[in-house]
Amino acid sequence: MEEAKCSRVKVESILSVVSGKPTEPGKVHKLSMLDRAMGSHTIHIVFYYASNPFLDGPMPSDLGNLRITLSELLDEYPYVTGRLTCEPDNGEWLIKFNDAGVRMLQATVDATIDEWLGSADGVEERDLTAWEEMPNDPSFWSPFRVQINKFKCGGLALGLSCTHMHTDLTSATMLFKAWSEVHRRQPPTHPPIFDLPPPPTPTPPPPTPSPLPTTPTKMATATLKFSPAAVDKCLSQAPADATPFDALAALFWRRVAAQAPTKRSLSICVDSRDPSQHAPAVPYAYFGNALKFSTLTDDLLSGGLGQVAGHIHRHVAGMKKEEFSSEINATGGMYGGAALTCFNAEHMAEAESGRGIMYDAEFKKGERPVHVSYSVGNVGREGLIMVMPAAEGGRGRTVTATLPEEQVAELCRDQVILDFEPTMILCGRRS
Amino acid sequence: MKLGYQYLVNHVLAFLLIPTAIAVAVEILRSSPARWNSFAIDPIHILFTSFLAVFIATVYFMSKPRSIYLVDYACYKPPVTCRVPFSTFMEHSRLILKDNPKSVDFQMRILERSGLGEETCLPPAIHYIPPTPTMDAARGEAETVIFSSIDSLMKSTGLKPKQIDILIVNCSLFSPTPSLSAMIVNKYKLRSNIKSYNLSGMGCSAGLISIDLARDLLQIHPNSNALVISTEIITPNYYKGSERAMLLPNCLFRMGGAAILLSNKRRDRSLAKYKLVHVVRTHKGADDKAYKCVYEQEDPQGKVGINLSKDLMVIAGEALKSNITTIGPLVLPASEQLLFLFTLIGRKIFNPKWKPYIPDFKQAFEHFCIHAGGRAVIDELQKNLQLSAEHVEASRMTLHRFGNTSSSSLWYELGYIEAKGRMKKGDRVWQIAFGSGFKCNSAVWKCNRTIKTTSDGPWQDCIHTYPISNLTLADTQKLVEYLQDKLGVSAPFDVVIDDVPSNSRIATIKVVRALTSLALKEAKKLIEGLP
Repeated sequence: MEEAKCSRVKVESILSVVSGKPTEPGKVHKLSMLDRAMGSHTIHIVFYYASNPFLDGPMPSDLGNLRITLSELLDEYPYVTGRLTCEPDNGEWLIKFNDAGVRMLQATVDATIDEWLGSADGVEERDLTAWEEMPNDPSFWSPFRVQINKFKCGGLALGLSCTHMHTDLTSATMLFKAWSEVHRRQPPTHPPIFDLPPPPTPTPPPPTPSPLPTTPTKMATATLKFSPAAVDKCLSQAPADATPFDALAALFWRRVAAQAPTKRSLSICVDSRDPSQHAPAVPYAYFGNALKFSTLTDDLLSGGLGQVAGHIHRHVAGMKKEEFSSEINATGGMYGGAALTCFNAEHMAEAESGRGIMYDAEFKKGERPVHVSYSVGNVGREGLIMVMPAAEGGRGRTVTATLPEEQVAELCRDQVILDFEPTMILCGRRS
Repeated sequence: MKLGYQYLVNHVLAFLLIPTAIAVAVEILRSSPARWNSFAIDPIHILFTSFLAVFIATVYFMSKPRSIYLVDYACYKPPVTCRVPFSTFMEHSRLILKDNPKSVDFQMRILERSGLGEETCLPPAIHYIPPTPTMDAARGEAETVIFSSIDSLMKSTGLKPKQIDILIVNCSLFSPTPSLSAMIVNKYKLRSNIKSYNLSGMGCSAGLISIDLARDLLQIHPNSNALVISTEIITPNYYKGSERAMLLPNCLFRMGGAAILLSNKRRDRSLAKYKLVHVVRTHKGADDKAYKCVYEQEDPQGKVGINLSKDLMVIAGEALKSNITTIGPLVLPASEQLLFLFTLIGRKIFNPKWKPYIPDFKQAFEHFCIHAGGRAVIDELQKNLQLSAEHVEASRMTLHRFGNTSSSSLWYELGYIEAKGRMKKGDRVWQIAFGSGFKCNSAVWKCNRTIKTTSDGPWQDCIHTYPISNLTLADTQKLVEYLQDKLGVSAPFDVVIDDVPSNSRIATIKVVRALTSLALKEAKKLIEGLP
């Protein structure tokens, strides 16, 4: 039974934050086909901190201190402060570097962080990154929104929301990490790159089938944290060279397919910025969409956990060898449109520690985020499973599953998954 | 020929006295020593004459007005987080005024022609959608602007709070209780016998009114100094309605403030930057049209704002003429005054169609600080006083970098001239301010010592990028697009520059920028690098 509860998040004010230095007028950036294909989705990332790092600083208010470093950061990202415009003749989308700034929202939350993580669900968490749909004329609509949410216990959640047209999960994370570096007065580890060299041989892009129109389904999200021991237990059933992603993707695929036998294929999403490769196709600091999608069909997906994991592993290896092309001919709904999509974030784990790079976004030295939530808007009804590196490092992983409501409920009660003893957070008030 | 005339008339006294003195000396020498003894000179006469001379000298020195010196001044530099680019201003305007697209268009047109740049600043309360002008926010802005300016001034002059004898604050539109001057007394723990004054409602020319008041007070109080604070607090005065005539101030007014230290102490004489020579105030309020041309009122929806009438430029012109008529005889060299007199008599008696002679104020002043009220104001004054682009550069660049900061803009302009290293000892400066009422006030300063460019001040980080071309950035971009459209060319293309005379340098830089999309610095280097 649904309780109609009003949100515990209250937005107090909205303002705009601009860069410190004016941008050179007249520059534009053309969005690639991949960017436009991802356009129907939105990205929502929330960084939870135990204490408010902006209370120390030269200004009397935390908002004042936040604005100083955010302005400095925006000097390097004219892409983020610009505005979208659509060319009328050829339908191309451009970002005009017009210096308009990002929207900043201030909100308070009527809970402590622990209460929140235990009781909020994906829908309520979306309030921490309040989003406004793009109007018909986007020239005065801010594609990036930063929200500062204050908890009763003094903790802070920094929310970043943006269109998937401008950036993907990796570069949005890098943006935040760069901000924390600016705040700590450290040199940036990955100064952003906005333009890629054109692909050497323009291959005609194969047309991908557009997803069938479906009735809108109510989606829900659950976050399950698997400890390194649990992941090892899972990996023990898989071939020796399988990565945690392979094993967990296989696990979740099998459990979701067991509940919904109509699912026939699995789409794997891989980021081309993999630093473990000798010569990655896309530099790590590229700011924009650098994703590759590929589908595994039914025949590869039947079988035990180990077999499926093995197939996934080989498939991922194959994808990594392919060239990256930003010229994908597809219409929207890349995540969960045609098939259940699994997002591979192994490239976001640090090489030595295995900890996710998002947990390095320290605004105050020594204070890592308590948790980082990822969520994607407008996921298709087939669903999206994101396997992200964890805070504690090693082979621990945090899996965020966005599926139709009933499937999420089933998944959280599924015995096979519960055998791995995941910690469930942000699943709503479940006992 | 003109130079000869000027030299003759300006030094006419010298030309008359020298021959007379020589004649008298020759006469005395020629007359025989015998005649001298006939003058019955005895000690009583000598004593009496010398007493008389001493008495006259004493009366002269006692009744001479005290010299007032400007020791130093400091202008407020807003933080970059308060910056408001055009696009952000327009975006907020569209979101707030979504039911009045005509008003939004009006604001866009005003901004494009305003002469403001992309670095002008508004206080934090105005950055919200919609703006949140609370009393607290207004006080916060006042504290930030005023205390920063005073702190800078104290740092550069070594002034201690307990040494301040007179405090004058002028802020037209924000007048809380207790006053802003009381706020300063409280913050800096000034003496209990301080003479403090708070002037409100007097408009953009109130800065010079404060200087005038300080001057009068320093005549009465010997061995004293006066701290003058000129500012305008933007937070409470953001117009929330949609009447076009009342939206203008929103587009033009920006954060700013200045703190000025005046003194009549003898020991400050050598350290002071300027000496105050004249202050001339002209008030046209007796005329109804002038009185109502800048008028605070409620719009039909009950929202309060400042209404600027369409006759503003005409009234400003009249006020300026009045002011010039008074200040002219005080500052102009005799040559200009005679010419003006002759043409005046000629027009009255002989032929009314003679063109009125506009005195050449460039002979009376080296530098001009015209209140940066808007591009139109500066253009008008440049035309009326026949000033060159360099004379009005300080005003235009202040308008570009800081916007219209009301009464403090004159001090930013003076700061610009100093930052450019153009202020030399003996240079005379004319500050002209206009304000509601309608008033036109002038101050004349004489530079006391050559001022070296320093590494602080509001212009320190951007002075090397100025002056910028007259074309706004939007205009330049439009010009490029127009050229690309009409001529079918795409920048860059080859341009051959044979020679650039110095007076059209700025115009040429404009064209180079437009054609080649070069950044201003590179365009400037290109022009300057030509043989």
